[in-house]
Amino acid sequence: MIVLDPNGEKLNLMPLNVGPSHPATHGCLRFMAAMDGETIVASVEEIGYLHRGFEKMVERGTWQQVLPYTDRLNYCSAIMNNIAYCRAVENMFGVELPERTKVLRVIVNELSRINDHFVCVAAAFQDLGGTTPFMYAFNPREEIMCIWEKLTGARLTNSYARIGGLYRDSYDGFERDVLAALDSTEKALKDLHACLDRNRIFLDRTVGIGKISAEKAISYGWTGPCLRASGVASDLRKDEPYYDYETYDWEVVVGTQGDCNDRLQVRLAEIEESVKIVRQALKRLAPGPVDIVDPRIRVPAHKLAYQDMEGLIGRFKSVYEGIRVPEGEYYCGSECANGELGFTIVSDGSGHPYRIKVRPPCLTQFAAFHDLVEGGQLADSMAVLSGLNIIAGELDR
Amino acid sequence: MESKELTEKIASLLAEKFGGKLDAQAKWDAAVVVPAEYLHNAVEFLKGDASILMDMLVDIAGIDYQTYPNHEGPRFGISYAFKSTVNPGVRVRLKVLVGEADLKVPTISDLFANANWYEREVFDQFGIVFTGHPDLRRLLNHVEFVGHPLRKDYPAQKRQWLSTNDYLLPALEKRLETLGYRVVQRSKEVGTNDNEFLEGSIKE
Repeated sequence: MIVLDPNGEKLNLMPLNVGPSHPATHGCLRFMAAMDGETIVASVEEIGYLHRGFEKMVERGTWQQVLPYTDRLNYCSAIMNNIAYCRAVENMFGVELPERTKVLRVIVNELSRINDHFVCVAAAFQDLGGTTPFMYAFNPREEIMCIWEKLTGARLTNSYARIGGLYRDSYDGFERDVLAALDSTEKALKDLHACLDRNRIFLDRTVGIGKISAEKAISYGWTGPCLRASGVASDLRKDEPYYDYETYDWEVVVGTQGDCNDRLQVRLAEIEESVKIVRQALKRLAPGPVDIVDPRIRVPAHKLAYQDMEGLIGRFKSVYEGIRVPEGEYYCGSECANGELGFTIVSDGSGHPYRIKVRPPCLTQFAAFHDLVEGGQLADSMAVLSGLNIIAGELDR
Repeated sequence: MESKELTEKIASLLAEKFGGKLDAQAKWDAAVVVPAEYLHNAVEFLKGDASILMDMLVDIAGIDYQTYPNHEGPRFGISYAFKSTVNPGVRVRLKVLVGEADLKVPTISDLFANANWYEREVFDQFGIVFTGHPDLRRLLNHVEFVGHPLRKDYPAQKRQWLSTNDYLLPALEKRLETLGYRVVQRSKEVGTNDNEFLEGSIKE
C-alpha cells in the first residue's frame, strides 16, 4: 500500500501477516504489520484463535466443576490458576483455611511460578536462536513436573486445589523431592545467568527493545513481572497479602529499563525469590488436616461416605447440586506467574456459578504489543513477544 | 486498616458526586452503581483526583441479569474494577446498568489504554455498544459470528459455520491513520467486501 508519512513523504509499505501458526507465536496469535523494509511502521493484533468459551462453559456446571477449566488458562502453571479461583470462592464463603493447606499452597504456588518463568525464559532464548539455555531451564522444570506427577497424578493440568482445601495431602518424601528440585533450580539459574548476562548476541537483541514506560504500562493495566520490569514495585503478594506471604522473607524484584532484557531478568530474579519462599515454607510445614470440615463447602472424605449417613448425604449433595456460594458479586485477584489473575464472580446463591469473568494477565500485555514493536525491526517483534510470555490459553479463554 | 478506610471514602465520594449508590450485591468489596451518563466523569474523577489516584483499570466484566432470581431493573450490568498502584490494596468497582432498549455506554478508552480491548470484548460477548469507541470490532469471536454468546438466551450448544479469515488490512489502515499516515493507494489484497465486514461487526 502507498501512504504519505506525517512529513508528506511517499512510502510504499508492505502489509505482512504473522501467525496465527508461526513458530514464535506460542499458541495462536496473529498480527499484521505494515513494513517499510525491515522496519515495522504500524501493527495490529488479532486474538481469539484459542477462544473456547470458558465463561459460557462454567455457567453450565457446578462451582467445583470450574476447577479443571481453570487448569487450561495458563497451562504452564496450572496449579496457580486453581488456587486463584479457589481463593476467590473461599473469600466469598469467608472461611479460614488450615495452616498446612496455606503452607502447601504457598509451596506449590511458588514451584509453579518457577516452572512458568523457566518456560518463558527458555522459550524466549529459543526464539532468538539459542538452544542451550532451553535445556538448562528444562532440567529443573522436569523435576518439578515429576513432583506434580507424584502429588496430583498429572503433569500439566493438575487440578490440585479444591474449594476449602486440597485434592490430597502431600506424599511421603515430598519435602526431599522439593529440596532436590530447588537445588537443581539454583544450579540452572547459575548456568542461565552464565549464558545470558554477558552474551553479546542476546544483549544486542534484547536491551532497549520493546521499551515501555511505567506510566504507559500502568495505563495498559500491566501487572506482574512485566510491570515490575518497568520499575513499579507492585506485587499482590506484598500489597494485599494472602496465605501469610507477608511473613516470609523475600523481596519484590524491580527492573529499571522496562525493555525486553529486563522482563527476562526480572523473571530470573523472581525465581530466586521463589526458591527463598519455598525453603522457608518447607520449614513451616507441620502435620495437620488439609481440608476444612464443612460438608457445605468441602465434600466429606471418601471414608465417611461409606461409613456415615451424613457423610453420604453430604457427598451426594455436594457432587450433584454443587456447593451454594453466598449470593453477591465479587472481584478477587491473585498474583500469578504472568501477573494478576482475577475472577469477577456473580453468584445467585445456587449451586452453579451465575457468571465468572476471568481477567487474564496476558490480555493487557498483548493489547500493548503494537506500542512495543512499532518503529522496531521485524526480528525484534519476536524477542518482544516471547519476553511478554503470552499464553494463548488464558489470553483467549 | 488504612486502605479499607480509603476505599470506603472513595465509594462514598463517588456515590455523592455522581448520583450513584453503593451496590448492595458487593458484600466483599466496594462497588458503586453510577448512571451511564456520568460514567466517564466518574472514571475521570477516579483517575485524576490527587487524593484517590485509582490509576489502573483492572477489568471490565459484562453481566446479563436475564435469569437472575428476583432481579429488577435493567437487563445488563457492566462492572469496572479499578485499583491503585500508588496506594496498594485500594480497590473499587463501578457498575453501570443498561436496559435492552438503549444498549449504550460511553467509552473510557480515552482514559485507559486497555479499556479499548476490554470494551471490544464486552461488545463481542453481550452486544453492548460503547459510544465513542475508536474501533469497536469483535475481539474473541469471529467476524462472521452472529449473536452474542454470553447472553443468557444464547444456547450454549449452538453451532455456526464460519468460512473466512478476520480481515486485518482495514484495521491496519486505521492504525496507520492514527499514527499520522495517510493511505493513498490501498493494498491489492483489500477486497471490496472488507469494509462491509468491518462495518458488519459494528452494526446490530
